Amino acid sequence: MYEIMTEFIQPADIGQVHCIKGFEEIQRRFPVYLSDESKLSGAHADYLFFPADEAELAAVLVEMKRLKAPVTFSAARTGISGGCVPPRGAVVSLERFDRILSLRHEPSAGEWRILAQCNVLLRDLNRQAMDKHFPELERRHSSADAAALAAYREDTRTYFYPPDPTEMSASIGGTVATNASGARTYRYGPTRNWVRRIRVMLASGEVLDIPRGRYFASPTGDVTVQDAGKNQIVLRIPDYPAPRTKSTSGLYAAPNMDLIDLFIGSEGILGVVTTVEVALLEKHDKLSVVQFLQSDTQALDFVEALRKDARVRPDFIEFYGPGALDLLRKRQADDPKAVGMPPLPGPGTTAVFFEVSFDPDAEDPGVGVLETIAARCGASSEDSWAGYEMRELDRFKHFRHVLPETVNGIIAQRKRHIPELHKLGTDLAVPDDRLRDMWAVYRDTLDGDGLEWVAFGHIGNNHLHVNILPRDLHELEKGIAAYDRLAAQAVAFGGVVSAEHGIGKIKSRLLSLMYSDAQINQMRSVKAALDPGMMINPGDVLAE
Amino acid sequence: MKIVVCVKQVPEISNVRINRETGTLIREGVASILNPFCEYALDLAVHLKKESPGTEVIAVSMGPPQTRSALMRCLELGADRAILASDRKFAGADTWATGKTLAAVIKAAVPDFNLILVGKQAIDGDTAQVGPEIAEFMGLPQVMYGVTAEFGKTRKRIRVRREVESGYEVVEMRLPGVVSASKGRLIRRLPSLKAIIDARSKPLKTLTAVDLDIDDSHLGLKGSLTQVVRIFPPQSRADGRKLEGLDPEGARKAILAFLQAQHYVEGGQPSC
Amino acid sequence: MLSVNKDICNSCGLCEKTCPFGAITVADACAVPNENCTLCGACVNVCPVGALSIARKRPSPEKMAEYAGVLVWGECEKLPGDRLAPKKVVYELLSQARCLADKLGETVTVIVLGDDRLVGVKTLGAHGADRVLRCRHPLLDRYTIDGFANVICSAIAGEKPSVFLLGATPNGRELAPRIAARMDLGLTADCTQLDIDDQRQMVQTRPAFGGNIMASIISPYTRPQMATVRPNVFPAAEFGSVSKAFRVDDMAVTLSKAAIRTKIVEEMPLCEASVNIEAAQVIVAAGRGCQNKENLGLIQALAKALGGVMAGSRAIVEMDWIPHTLQVGQSGTTVSPQLYIAVGISGAIQHVVGMSTAKTIVAINCDPEAPIFKVVDLGIVGDALQILPGLTQAIRDAAVKAAKP
Repeated sequence: MYEIMTEFIQPADIGQVHCIKGFEEIQRRFPVYLSDESKLSGAHADYLFFPADEAELAAVLVEMKRLKAPVTFSAARTGISGGCVPPRGAVVSLERFDRILSLRHEPSAGEWRILAQCNVLLRDLNRQAMDKHFPELERRHSSADAAALAAYREDTRTYFYPPDPTEMSASIGGTVATNASGARTYRYGPTRNWVRRIRVMLASGEVLDIPRGRYFASPTGDVTVQDAGKNQIVLRIPDYPAPRTKSTSGLYAAPNMDLIDLFIGSEGILGVVTTVEVALLEKHDKLSVVQFLQSDTQALDFVEALRKDARVRPDFIEFYGPGALDLLRKRQADDPKAVGMPPLPGPGTTAVFFEVSFDPDAEDPGVGVLETIAARCGASSEDSWAGYEMRELDRFKHFRHVLPETVNGIIAQRKRHIPELHKLGTDLAVPDDRLRDMWAVYRDTLDGDGLEWVAFGHIGNNHLHVNILPRDLHELEKGIAAYDRLAAQAVAFGGVVSAEHGIGKIKSRLLSLMYSDAQINQMRSVKAALDPGMMINPGDVLAE
Repeated sequence: MKIVVCVKQVPEISNVRINRETGTLIREGVASILNPFCEYALDLAVHLKKESPGTEVIAVSMGPPQTRSALMRCLELGADRAILASDRKFAGADTWATGKTLAAVIKAAVPDFNLILVGKQAIDGDTAQVGPEIAEFMGLPQVMYGVTAEFGKTRKRIRVRREVESGYEVVEMRLPGVVSASKGRLIRRLPSLKAIIDARSKPLKTLTAVDLDIDDSHLGLKGSLTQVVRIFPPQSRADGRKLEGLDPEGARKAILAFLQAQHYVEGGQPSC
Repeated sequence: MLSVNKDICNSCGLCEKTCPFGAITVADACAVPNENCTLCGACVNVCPVGALSIARKRPSPEKMAEYAGVLVWGECEKLPGDRLAPKKVVYELLSQARCLADKLGETVTVIVLGDDRLVGVKTLGAHGADRVLRCRHPLLDRYTIDGFANVICSAIAGEKPSVFLLGATPNGRELAPRIAARMDLGLTADCTQLDIDDQRQMVQTRPAFGGNIMASIISPYTRPQMATVRPNVFPAAEFGSVSKAFRVDDMAVTLSKAAIRTKIVEEMPLCEASVNIEAAQVIVAAGRGCQNKENLGLIQALAKALGGVMAGSRAIVEMDWIPHTLQVGQSGTTVSPQLYIAVGISGAIQHVVGMSTAKTIVAINCDPEAPIFKVVDLGIVGDALQILPGLTQAIRDAAVKAAKP
């Protein structure tokens, strides 16, 4: 209950673990392992390992401890906080942990669950679950697998894995490490809500196998870990209050918490997740709608009305500010096929993009209420786009990704003239009752500074991505200063500094805006207990 | 003005795969959609309706009950009403029997039509036969491969810009007549939420064989003049080579060497 | 209809597995066909106990005997010097028509429509035609659907051929069904193979489901059996000697202006259309992977260096990068060059059907999973926009080098 024993893994012979030695060699032949999507520079590694299984991974950890070289874990490298960028020591690629291990039905929860190694990609897991086609399991010819597969296929319902970060080529282990979120987090919650079991390897090379619902923090806030050498490691769960919004800012902590949640979202600083079991959800037909509104105020009215109305249960509610639509309109003029949608309405409009359950064959599909809600806010459901066929839903999904792509394209162009330029993207969330206030703060701060900016994102969770596009170094400076002011304001409203991107290496300073030194030290204590040698993912979350 | 648009529901062909061992079609995961060329025809009808207020657009289709969803799509995209001709007796029809049936449906349901629009071809059959056959069975003139069209001032004629081998030509035809649509918008339209909701209260009528003035012997498989006697997978090409991981210089070298070896470019190794 | 002998059926389910249309299932220990059945016969062939059979109606021998001969529509085109002459596809049809006629022991007639500018009629005799039926009238000076349908239908009524072939050109594809509907005939479009079976019926084979599957079809109840064939599917008939029996018959044509119900108001020829991709021996085709219209210059340059022409996929025609006259594919033109290089084309089946008979196929695409790689002789996974400039230069250099003494 409040105590867990590690599993000892006999390390393999380190000599058999595939390894590339020497920074020059790694930089020349394998530069991808030195970066992620944050494009953080200054990476360094003297060793690059490719362990094939837990035994080889344990061997690497033991050996690197012996050589006093810290280890940074690397999987799909789609992160945008520099989490897998090695500062020194070794970088360990988990790419060979890429198999789906089993599919089973858990009767007590009435759920289908998939057990996968950490480098199974999100889109592959989802594709296989939806198509009911698992090449790995079919190849293995085990009778248990065959029975599960047959039962799964006989089940006429369709299933999917709800967490939907934009980057579906992320690894499942990566999404667990960062408690990844997407648009659907509005209705279904973040990754945390869908993880049923993890195997996490600690810095010592020993493994904790944690199913949800078995190990908890004691009433005094402790969990005891007993390792192979019979040592008792006491983890003191931090006592700061859990955030009121979706959050990937530092270690998750709550009274009587399930131990599994300590590791989910810990960004690899407490251990590396090698295997994870996730639950699937039944899929229903959906209607995707982009509702156009005449102003940002009208958009906020519409969002609040959607949230409040009990007759409507959107899967997600997303937002495009006026600047965002301006950008897309320009892109449409240059390359209509890239945007793939009919002409966007005129300047000044905003858009709210949402999805609700919908049965196209029902005589009354029950979406008339959406017309009423729009009318009450002074908008018209004629000024909208809607679709429900699979190919239309794909079009809408593609449309959601065009804006960030377009922003990146503009920044890339500006970088050609001024290489030091980069975009600034906020990842702040606030509680429901502060949405309007936060929007006013964004507008006043950024318009006040005369910066070019666009806002879009998960307005249902009061979590907007505000991208500042500096046109010169002076604007970049102003933007960075503005960024910190915005983060402080979000915290003052009871929000968080990182809602889904994680802290990684680039947002540690923001952590101090949200937590006191004492609270951050509580996080450090947990890390120190599980990783006394400070061997794994140095520089992530907690500044060195 | 009444414009009849004949449409077909087809499988999303780009997703259809063949099980090479059995030569059968893999039907799982293949969605049914409104034939793209039929959507072009509907777009043209809606465009003509906008230019000529008071025009009614009627979507018509022959197929199994699930064809309803393709007609619903037409209603969402601007058709005023829809007619589904569905009956077990229609099953297995070749293009001749289909044309006969659709002509009978139009005669029964929209006898006072002014214009019939069809898509150039259906992406599952690709015969492009049904449009001209409907025109012939109804004694109407036809203009095929239309790209855009406009009614004349008195709306007694239509001018169609159509594709020909040498480019384009504009053809004038007296109404009533049949026009097929060959090209559509670059970006497919999206209905508004209102259009989707309203579509469900637009009239969608189903007709069966008894509602039509047509002999049973002309219907379905029994009425077909052609008969499929064999189905088999196409021959696959002998395995070629696929080269990956080459940089542009390496790729250029590989292609040049190949073209020289095949004697499309001079300088290859002598073949003896 | 498909019948199941309940006493013999052992419900093994092989028919259910084999049926391409999901039209037969095993229920209550017996196979049961449903309305999706097209009588294709796949299940009959595979049933291990012979429980399935299809009763096919046979046309009466008397009716069959009335119809004889293979008729070919000699579609013409305008040539420089204001002449009308049969198109290349007619010669391709002639080679097949000759085969079919020889198997049937019958003659080949080509029907040609036009006015006094008609030439090249006698050449048809040197390519396998036994006879030309020439229909000349001022109103046939140009192709019209009404004029041509009227004249050809009256010719068929008089001639009573057992087979009538047309090229699946744009005109052919709208004319053939019009004639088939008027005379209640079975018609098969886009045939890639024509044979005579042991019942003296023409077996017409064509791609279906976008080209994913091949279907063999017969028209058992009606004569003539009509079929269209795309250009570049069959080789052209070879030049030989004109048979002594060859003759040109002029058919009287009655046609009134009122019969022609459409009028050409404006002609807009495209200069790019003067490029005949159908006849080209080397084609470099561009797809959406070329990113934008400006990059097509690279494709043009490569095509020129190889002595060929540029064409493209439906995707880029829709974006107006090229006119429809240069489109290769199921809803465009079928080509069969010696060399086909696909640049930035994914290779969807509707495109592949339009070029799969090319002798040599090369493709460049940055997506290693692109379906085009299934039909190539050489596939390169890479960025064409980076590869092409250097490649074109290298080809030019090779030509220059070879030209040096």
